[in-house]
Amino acid sequence: MSVTIVAKKEFRDAVRSRLLLVLIAVFALFTLGGAVLVSQVGELFGLGDEAGIIGVILALQTPASVLVPLIALVVSYRSVAGERESGSAKYLLGLPHSRRDVLLGKVLGRTGVVSVAILVGFGVGIVGIVALIGSFDPLAYLGFTLVTLLLGLVWVAIGVGCSSVTRSSTRAGILGFGLLLLFWILWDVIGLALLYATDGLDRMGESIPEWYALFSSLPPGSAYGLVGSALLPTEAGFEAAGEVSIFLSPAFGALVLLFWIVVPLGVGLLVFGRSDV
Amino acid sequence: MTAIELHGVTKRFGDTVALSDLDLSVRSGEIYGFLGPNGAGKTTTIDLLLDFARPTAGEITVLGMDSGEKSVAIRERTGVLPEGFDLYDRLTGRQHLEFSIESKGADDDPDELAERVGIPDALDRKVGGYSKGMIQRLGLASALVGDPELLVLDEPSTGLDPNGAREMRDIVREEAGRGATVFFSSHILGQVEAVCDRVGILRGGELVAEDSIDALRDALRTEETFRLELDAGEGPEEGLVEPVEALSGVSTVAMENSSLVVTCASDAKPEVFRTVEREVARVEDFSLSEASLDEVFAAYTAEAGA
Repeated sequence: MSVTIVAKKEFRDAVRSRLLLVLIAVFALFTLGGAVLVSQVGELFGLGDEAGIIGVILALQTPASVLVPLIALVVSYRSVAGERESGSAKYLLGLPHSRRDVLLGKVLGRTGVVSVAILVGFGVGIVGIVALIGSFDPLAYLGFTLVTLLLGLVWVAIGVGCSSVTRSSTRAGILGFGLLLLFWILWDVIGLALLYATDGLDRMGESIPEWYALFSSLPPGSAYGLVGSALLPTEAGFEAAGEVSIFLSPAFGALVLLFWIVVPLGVGLLVFGRSDV
Repeated sequence: MTAIELHGVTKRFGDTVALSDLDLSVRSGEIYGFLGPNGAGKTTTIDLLLDFARPTAGEITVLGMDSGEKSVAIRERTGVLPEGFDLYDRLTGRQHLEFSIESKGADDDPDELAERVGIPDALDRKVGGYSKGMIQRLGLASALVGDPELLVLDEPSTGLDPNGAREMRDIVREEAGRGATVFFSSHILGQVEAVCDRVGILRGGELVAEDSIDALRDALRTEETFRLELDAGEGPEEGLVEPVEALSGVSTVAMENSSLVVTCASDAKPEVFRTVEREVARVEDFSLSEASLDEVFAAYTAEAGA
């Protein structure tokens, strides 16, 4: 009850952000660009109408995996720290809401805002795909949309979590966007360095070491890719020769996404629950 | 029945002691003025009542419930106007009130609330365009939602002009009239004097006085400052302090140049006079001053030794 009331308020407030409108426009442009790209590539490989699911995923996954975390962080990183800075937290918590309900309500409400962005972006993308490729698989589209909404939820949870552990929204932003950079760029570099250090690089042709499979599946973006891969038909999937690590399965990806929802929120609640408003 | 009860409450921020062993009790149905200079610890006390912060030591009960464990239940029955709060720039006044009403599970009419606090025309405008005073009025309207049993108002006249402050006091009286308890903090005596049944004066994190306005006034009115101009060079003046201090009804005695300054009860004056004359000095002249309420406040809130 309390959670949904806060969620509604959060949605009303955050959806009015001008920056959000800009990001949605950029997202829509990217999905449109993705559709154009896939139509070109499809012709190149002679996929034609069979492009279907792969087309949808190729066209949407790349812009989504880059822009959804960005939009989610922009929408969420000030959510708690900003309210404590301005003093609106005193109004919010003067009303009968527990801090837990406030955090959950913020995550729900702001995930709603990110969902609007995703649906608009994907809506534009699908128009492009139908126009340029001529076919699309509604079921795959629906599944892929749901997985992407989940990614939005994950990054909103991370953003709200970061916002809950510090009084300063600047620091919350540095923390949130720092994590994004870590997962985007540094994670791969660290992984390769570790592979190199353990001589794993030489054996790459044979099989990927288990620990590396685990390591590379941990960023939310990778987990998102793993879960999304469940939507690929097996014949079109990249079935590896031999056993594929369990850490590269869609189920493990789902588990990792769950981890990235629960842990940031848990830490955020632990810290914010104990600190002075 | 007590609405608010603090027992041995201490709050430290690192090395700074904001509140020290504070005992305070507010009776159900009264308007309690929580008075003190800025930085005395008033907002800290209120933050503790609302679980915005937790006490370092001590017990706090609000409406019969523990302030930490039952905070949500307390806030369901309490209307809060915090100090230094802000609202959401992108939402309208109406959206704020709707949120407050939903949060309280109440069924108030936003238009009536806005009318009551004097911002009916601004209700559908975004709060980003509100003045300080309008934000304060909207905050008060939100505090009134659901006819709470307890109103906690922290410096409620912030940002209001004298007229607005008077309207706010009228609302406080109306709320007390329907049976609400009002806890009203201010650093301005005049804000509290006009409406409060009882006053607590906080200084440096300690409650230095707690009584009705009249009793506080009386306490200092009977305590008169008696200034005796002595004939200089006539005997050992320093020797005067002790015998005068020993008299009943005398609180303080000090030598200021050739004057003896005594604060004492009214009826102790003749005896003071006689003692001084008898002991050594001839009194050239004397003056009396009665305390105004502002002086009462100043006397209670002035830093020790000032």
